[in-house]
Amino acid sequence: MAHYKIFGKDPYWMNFYGLMILTVIEVGAVGLDLSAFADSIGATEKQLTFGILWGIGIPKFIMIAAIFMHLYGDADSKILTMTALFPAFFIIVMIFFIGLTSPGAPTDLPAWCRPPSWL
Amino acid sequence: MSGEHEYDHHIEPWGPHDWSHGAPHNSFAPLVMSIGFGVFLYSFANVFVMGELADISAMAGVMLGFIIITMGLIIWWRQDISFDGVYEPKGVGAPFRNIDLRKVAMWIFLMSEMMVFTSLFSTYIRYRLGIQNCEDLFLSGEWVEGTTVTCFEPAAHLIASSWFHIAPGAVNTFALIVSSFTIVLALKTAKMSNKKYSKKYSIDIADVDSHRSRKVGLYLGSTLLLATLFLTLKLIEWFIGFPTPGPLTEMNHGYSEIKSLYAEGYTIHASAYTNVHYDTTSKYFHIPVDSALSQAMAAGTHPGGIMMADIRVSASTFYVTTGTHGVHVFAGMIGLSYMTLKALRGGYGPSNAVSIEYFGLYWHFVDLVWVLVFPFFYLY
Repeated sequence: MAHYKIFGKDPYWMNFYGLMILTVIEVGAVGLDLSAFADSIGATEKQLTFGILWGIGIPKFIMIAAIFMHLYGDADSKILTMTALFPAFFIIVMIFFIGLTSPGAPTDLPAWCRPPSWL
Repeated sequence: MSGEHEYDHHIEPWGPHDWSHGAPHNSFAPLVMSIGFGVFLYSFANVFVMGELADISAMAGVMLGFIIITMGLIIWWRQDISFDGVYEPKGVGAPFRNIDLRKVAMWIFLMSEMMVFTSLFSTYIRYRLGIQNCEDLFLSGEWVEGTTVTCFEPAAHLIASSWFHIAPGAVNTFALIVSSFTIVLALKTAKMSNKKYSKKYSIDIADVDSHRSRKVGLYLGSTLLLATLFLTLKLIEWFIGFPTPGPLTEMNHGYSEIKSLYAEGYTIHASAYTNVHYDTTSKYFHIPVDSALSQAMAAGTHPGGIMMADIRVSASTFYVTTGTHGVHVFAGMIGLSYMTLKALRGGYGPSNAVSIEYFGLYWHFVDLVWVLVFPFFYLY
């Protein structure tokens, strides 16, 4: 359990409020028409939405892992964070070296997975 | 199995166990469940071939698998129901010295889960970047009515098209965050010392246990309820849809319902998918004048019409990823049902509250995955 405070308040409640606010912004960024603002900063609305979704997704991810999953503030937080980060190598390989850099995958992979009887 | 020496604590092999001895808790129930899962998956793979019912007799194997899994769960729960936290094995070697072994095991399990979801995300990214987007293809004019073109249609194109379509996914996001919080509250309540609990709620110390049981049960039950809401809304979004009566109809372009993804034709078999977004005669969606399609139609080199798309790959990545997440929510619901029952029977207190924490790790992980699934499968 947490032995610290966030702005003098219970960290779980503060984390909960923060997550709710970030989710409202996230949904709003998709539902609202941001084209005028996107034009003003020289981007397309899709690029702006993508940036906002990443910008909100990462802090939400960290907030849940650090506070709700106790990867921050406990005596064993450090070693468990290292344990949790262990698959990072696998994730990097999957996302960057396969997800983003295998041009043949969309056409080749389905063929590998199809049974011979596929028409 | 009864007491020849002090480590023999399996008085009843089918449970409940006698936890008052200092021996590790060995259970054969996970092995029974593994056999059940094996029978279930092997049989299930034989029931359908390419979406067609191939072997109805394999359903017997499916049912047998279910029965074995259920038996394993019941045995496991019967053995655990008496666990009061007297014995919690700790790591003895580096790097996990003095850390609860169950906690380490849960993190290692979560690592394997991370790899499962990473594979799904990697597949999604590869296909989304490698196959031309349907909207871009439509606006490029490189299609002819009546001939199927292969393209990637993100589910977000349908879901993020209006507030009504976003609603189930958005409510689900809030439901999972609230459920993550209720499980933390259950842990906090169970872990509080009797003295502190008595002071906080201004109750007699003799009444703490019953008051705590109700409260922990309430928090765990709320988590279960929110998980049920999550899967119900997913069912509505995938298969059922919902009406938009009265003034909501006007806000929904005159339509009186929000169709499910299935009714919209967004399925893993959609080899000739059509959508109002890809119809040049649609009165609701206007083609940008600077698009190649608009210019070709103005020049008379493109007749317009309705684009027909093969979107099987995009639909498959969506359903497999969000479906895998849904299965994790369902598995959590099974665990939560047991834990709620145990809590209401007074099964959780300061000595064994960590059991809630370890389940909570799994539940927060499910929330964590949704934090990535929601924006990139539902919104973008």
